[in-house]
Amino acid sequence: MHMDGQTPESLPRTLPGSLPEPLMVVANLDLCQGHARCEDLCPQVFATDAVEGKVVIAEPVFPPALEDKVRLAVRNCPEGALRIARRKGAGA
Amino acid sequence: MTLHFQPPAPDHVPADRIVDFDFFHIPEGVSDPAEIWHDLVRRGVPKIFYTPRNGGHWVFLDYADIVEGYRDYSIFSTYQTPIPPIEPFPVVQPQGVDPPEHKVFRSLLAPMFTPVAVRGMTAELQRRAIALIEGLADRGECDFIGDFAERFPTSMFLYLFGLPEDRLDEFLALANVFFRATDSDVRAKNIVEIYAVLDALFREKQARPGADIASAIVAARDAQGQPHDWTDILNCGFLLFVAGLDTVTNTMAYIWRYLATTPEAQQHFRDRLDDPDAFLLAIEELMRINAVSNLYRRVTHDCEYKGVQLRRNDRVILPNTVANRDPRVFENPDVIDLDRAVNVHVTFGVGPHRCVGSHLAKREVMVSMQEWLRRIPHFELAPDQPRHAVFGGAVMGFTGLKLRW
Repeated sequence: MHMDGQTPESLPRTLPGSLPEPLMVVANLDLCQGHARCEDLCPQVFATDAVEGKVVIAEPVFPPALEDKVRLAVRNCPEGALRIARRKGAGA
Repeated sequence: MTLHFQPPAPDHVPADRIVDFDFFHIPEGVSDPAEIWHDLVRRGVPKIFYTPRNGGHWVFLDYADIVEGYRDYSIFSTYQTPIPPIEPFPVVQPQGVDPPEHKVFRSLLAPMFTPVAVRGMTAELQRRAIALIEGLADRGECDFIGDFAERFPTSMFLYLFGLPEDRLDEFLALANVFFRATDSDVRAKNIVEIYAVLDALFREKQARPGADIASAIVAARDAQGQPHDWTDILNCGFLLFVAGLDTVTNTMAYIWRYLATTPEAQQHFRDRLDDPDAFLLAIEELMRINAVSNLYRRVTHDCEYKGVQLRRNDRVILPNTVANRDPRVFENPDVIDLDRAVNVHVTFGVGPHRCVGSHLAKREVMVSMQEWLRRIPHFELAPDQPRHAVFGGAVMGFTGLKLRW
């Protein structure tokens, strides 16, 4: 399970000649109450566990093609438990 | 002119916060019981007000405050909350227990109602919905409440509890008295009956466990490896009985009433019978606009909340239907937009007591709509509707809804 409530949402840290670091979605499991709206809206990225019914994000770095769907899922969380950040140290 | 008895408000409530509002009373001629709540907003009453009716209670009308009422259990408790007050009241498990103690039964129920678990019930939901719908399809008319909306969730309750289908009428009768009776003696006797049925049921499941929720509850052990307190087990069974029936019945009544009066909405869903994602998205909007529950909380200690003095044991009502139409949260809140993209409705509550059965409830509605629309042609309201078939309270809804096709 991925929980990273501490990661600050950093601005793109684009170095000359390098690509921006990829977007990732993180969940705060203290806030998640298992509404599963994210899973309904973007099952490619979000699932829910079979015990508590809380969000599971198997691969936080999602493909750019899913960005709109992920953003919609984030905006539809009734608990505000999801957010998008840029992964640091991409490619490392 | 009718003169109403106006009980006094307690002295910590300032006069400009007092509104005369009885949430059980739906005036003659009002066809949608939720309108009494939206009328308050239209009248511009304070967004946090107090009514002396029904034992006296506060009402929150802002989305932000309703959400706070759900989340901040340090002020707003779910322990013994009935309005008007009834004390002592059963400590319903886990709804009537605040965090962290609510975790004991919440953790027990949660795995049984996850999206994964509910997906596993789909075939059973379909089978039961189809049986009921095929039983009335040829009639060309029905009372949607009595013929389907009550029977279907009650039938699913029997399934979840591992009970035979031939007990449906017995459970329907118990539920109907529980939800609709007003006489206090009748109500008290009914609760005793429900607990007696639950007691016998759990004892049976203790002796001969099956693959059902009742067996799982009775077989569960606490952190010390001991069985749960028998009273808690009964109170948990009671919650599952009362929380999943009337809410689903009346949500479906609202939805079918809307479909019957809105041909283009009916067509919207018919066009998406083979597109479950679009179907579900549109159902979320129906969930937003048809929020039947008004939840109760109890103030834990004397305190000030947003400049309002609250006193210990004050009751608060959180009307979901009002939160769901807050213009600061929802674009065009009074418009039913079946393609609405952002929809953070609170129909199932938020915070630690988020309706544990929400995924089952939504799946019940979705399967019912799909199977209904596959078998019933264009339907509409019958001309001979029962008179004033509406009620208010903790769950709002309809006592009759005649449809024809």
